[in-house]
Formats: sequence, structure tokens, C-alpha cells
Amino acid sequence: MLEIADLATAYGKIQALKGVSLTAKANQVTCLLGPNGAGKSTLMLTLAGILRPQRGSVKFEGEELVGLTPAQIVARGMALVPENRLVFPGLTVRENLLAGAYKRRDNVAIRSDIEAMFARFPRLGERQEQRAGTLSGGEQQMLAVARALMSRPRLLLMDEPSVGLAPMVVAEIFSIVRQLHQEGVSLFIVEQNAHMALKVAQHFYLMEQGSVSFSGNPGELAADELIQRAYLGQQRAQRSEP
Amino acid sequence: MTQALQLLIDGVLSGGSYALVALGLSLTFGSLRRLNLAYGATAMLAAYVGAWLHAQYQAPVWLVALAVVASAILTGAYVERLCFASPRVDPTQSRGLPVAGADGQEVVALASSFAIWMQLEQLAVNLLPRHLNTFPSLAAAQDWQLGELSVRPDRLLIGLAAVALTLGLAAWIERSRAGLSWRATAELRIAAHLVGMPVARLQAVGFACACALSGLAAFAVLSLDGQVTPMFGMWMLLKGLVAAMLGGLGSIRGALWGGLVLGVAESFSQELWGAQGRELCTYGLLLMVLVLPWQRLRRGPLNAGFA
Repeated sequence: MLEIADLATAYGKIQALKGVSLTAKANQVTCLLGPNGAGKSTLMLTLAGILRPQRGSVKFEGEELVGLTPAQIVARGMALVPENRLVFPGLTVRENLLAGAYKRRDNVAIRSDIEAMFARFPRLGERQEQRAGTLSGGEQQMLAVARALMSRPRLLLMDEPSVGLAPMVVAEIFSIVRQLHQEGVSLFIVEQNAHMALKVAQHFYLMEQGSVSFSGNPGELAADELIQRAYLGQQRAQRSEP
Repeated sequence: MTQALQLLIDGVLSGGSYALVALGLSLTFGSLRRLNLAYGATAMLAAYVGAWLHAQYQAPVWLVALAVVASAILTGAYVERLCFASPRVDPTQSRGLPVAGADGQEVVALASSFAIWMQLEQLAVNLLPRHLNTFPSLAAAQDWQLGELSVRPDRLLIGLAAVALTLGLAAWIERSRAGLSWRATAELRIAAHLVGMPVARLQAVGFACACALSGLAAFAVLSLDGQVTPMFGMWMLLKGLVAAMLGGLGSIRGALWGGLVLGVAESFSQELWGAQGRELCTYGLLLMVLVLPWQRLRRGPLNAGFA
């Protein structure tokens, strides 16, 4: 569904992505794990069209996305739930959802989709006229997911959905991920919380210093070993030996 | 008593003009989170085009009005391209910070719009080198008498237009789909990109609307005065800024309230302490708004946005 080949992105002189290649299959949950500063969020922003890559290709259902605007990418059926939520703080919950449906013109379906979101996230329904900036972190995360879903994406990208949230809220977020997967939405998730991510994912990648260093299926490798590789820099330590 | 009432009426009516002037400025700040220092100069140059048409070709009033608004939009497009055109999102600055656009670009926009201000002023002086140029007025200024009170009909018309425009614009921004996308873009540009909004185009359109309003305001004020000088740009920026800040910069309805408060305050202080007292009062008000931690102002730039 999503094929990334040799993708490289830089902020000025800082090379954040150094040729990333990975694939997210349809009807799967694919996870990308890795420590802070590995380039995970840069990858997500590049996929969404916010950042322009220096080279490489991103194919979504066979179509090249590099060079398209964020609006065109959303219209193709791929939406990003950004890191730190980034809901519109001064707009109400309902207005945030309406904003999420910006590329759609089917007003009746938009309205019924909003009601469906309120059914799926009852706490958003209770706060629909409240400004999004007054919501708790967990509620904002739900709103960010709901806002992205309002564009009816076939592939949902999520950047660190669990960051800064209480364990119970994290569990809630991941149960939503499972639900969406069952409903046929494909997901590509960037996570630091490896335990949670490996529970929902069918396939995972490990990213370090701007490139993919490892990939596999959960279960092939003990979670502890994986986490050690991802966050304790075992690979890096090995590599630095001559 | 009658005198106080007359002063109030005069104040409210000139407040209408101030509100009109503040509206465009507030709209620019609301949609871009940037201050446009070339705001007054843009409108002044547009007014000069109108005055030139009037002097050279005896253009009728409606044509002058149209020319002023059109030139304000054109000049505004020039200012927007040079100072405010949306840069590519830099996620190193905007990521993770749900705070409206406090970035280095603001300083660049401020400084460059000041340079454009000077440039436009010089352009106007070159177009019509005389300091004072006549500007056509809306109608023969025969005051309406209501007992001992008097009202200038064109002033009344402009005051009503200011109220209608403000309330209409505010309602449109709150209710319409386009208004929603404007507010969203102003709040969090990166998120607006992510939901698929054409951010650069929305901001350019918002800027053009603000410039059209500034042209309208310039025409209204100058048609009351019957003359235009190169100082008009400065006047418009100052009065507009004070009125807009009184009401909370970036707030549409606030521009109306700010304009009215400023108008009434000026009208009374002029009567009590003369012209210098009036100026003192204006800047006193501005200082008060800046110093006092008003809820309204605090809300202004961040949340109220287009409220």
C-alpha cells in the first residue's frame, strides 16, 4: 500500500533521513520504532508532504506522492495524526472535525461522520462545543485521530500517539487502533512505546540515526531484546567497533 | 446635557470611521498573526490614485471609490508578495508548539513592511507632489437637525456601514466554511496543511480582503475630510492600531468596540482639553490597554482570533 524507497530529507545541513526504505502493507498495522532523534517524525512529515525530500520515492497504492502538496496527499486517502496532537486550540471540537473534512464536499455524509465520531469517542461528543485547547491530553489525542479520520483515509499515519499520556489512556488509544484495523483501515504508526506497539503491529521496523536498521514480525524476536536494540543502542555500540 | 449628547453622537460617528480603519488591520493580524506596518501607506497610495483620477479626469465619486478599493487590493498584493507570503512550513519551529506563529518570520515581516511603507509614501508624493490634494465627497454636507442636535448624513452612513460590515464579517467568519478554514490556518498553520487546506492561498485571500477594507475605509474617511495628504497613511495606521488594540488585536467585533471607545474618548477630550488633550487621551488609552492585564487582550491574539 505504501512503499518508501531511499527517502532522504534534511533540515538545512542536518541530514535527518539518510535513505529510508520500508513498506506498509494494506490491512496491516505497521510500526516504526526507534529512539528520539532517529528521524521518525521527519519521515512522517515528509510522507504527509509538509517536508520536501531531497531524493527517494513514496508510492501510495502505486502512485508517486513526492512533489504533491499536503492537500493532494490527503485527497488521495492518506492522513497524518501529527506528533503532539496539534488540534486547533481555539476551535471547538465540532469545528476541528469539520476542518478535518475540508477536502470533502458531501455535506450530508460529513454530518453523519461527525455523529459517528461522537459515537466512537463519547467524551468528544460530550464536549463538542468546547474549545479543543481546554481538553485533556488524552481527549486531544482522540480528537486528533477523529479529525484525521474525517478525511476518510485508507491509510492512517500516527506519529507517537501515546506520548505524554497516562497508561490507561494509552491503552484506550491502542484499542482504537485495533478497532480501526478491524474496520479495514491500514495503519502506519511511529511509536516509542515498544511494548504497546508490538502488541498491535503485524510488522515492525527499527529506525536509528536516519535509516532503517532492522525489520521483522513481532514474535520473531523477544520484545526485551528488541527494546534493547532500539533504545539502548546495542547495534550502535557494535557498529562503532572497527 | 444637549452638548454632552452632541459630543457623544460625534464621538460615536467618528468611532465608526476608526472601526472601519481598524477592521482591515485586525483582519490581517487575525489571519496572519503579523502586523502590517504598510497598512496605512497602502490605503493612502490607493487614495492618491483616486484623488488623481478625480483631479485629472473629473471621475465621479463612485468611480473614485471603486478605483481606491481596486488599487488598495493591487498594492496590497504587492505588499503581501514581498512581506507576508506564506513561507514553507518549518517544522523545527512549529512542531510540537501549538502556539500561534511566534517565529523569526514575524520580525522580517514587520521590518520589510516598514520599508514598503516608506516606499509607498514616496510613490504617492511623486504621483501628486502637492502636499494637499482634494478628494471628492460623498454628498453635499448639509447637516440634519434634530432639535438642537445635528448629524452629518454622510457620517451617519459611514457609521452604519462600519457596524454592518463588522457584524457581517464576524458572522461570516464564525459560521461559514471559508471562515472556519481562515481561523484554522491562523491558529495552527501546520495542522491546516495536514487537513488539506491551501494555506498560502487562504492567507493571500485574507490579505486581499483586508486591503479592500482598508481602501474602503480610506475612501470613507477622506470623503468626509475632502482632502488627502501624504500623512494620511500614518494617521490610518495609528488610529487603526489604537482602535484594534483596544478591542483586542485580531478580533473583528473588537475592532468595532475599539473604534467606538476611541471615537467617544477623543470627542470628549477634544472638547475638554483641546487638540493636544485629545492626542494625549488617544495614547493614554493605548498605554492603558498595553499595561493593564485585560482578559480581552490576552485572549485576543491567541484564542479569540476572529471572535
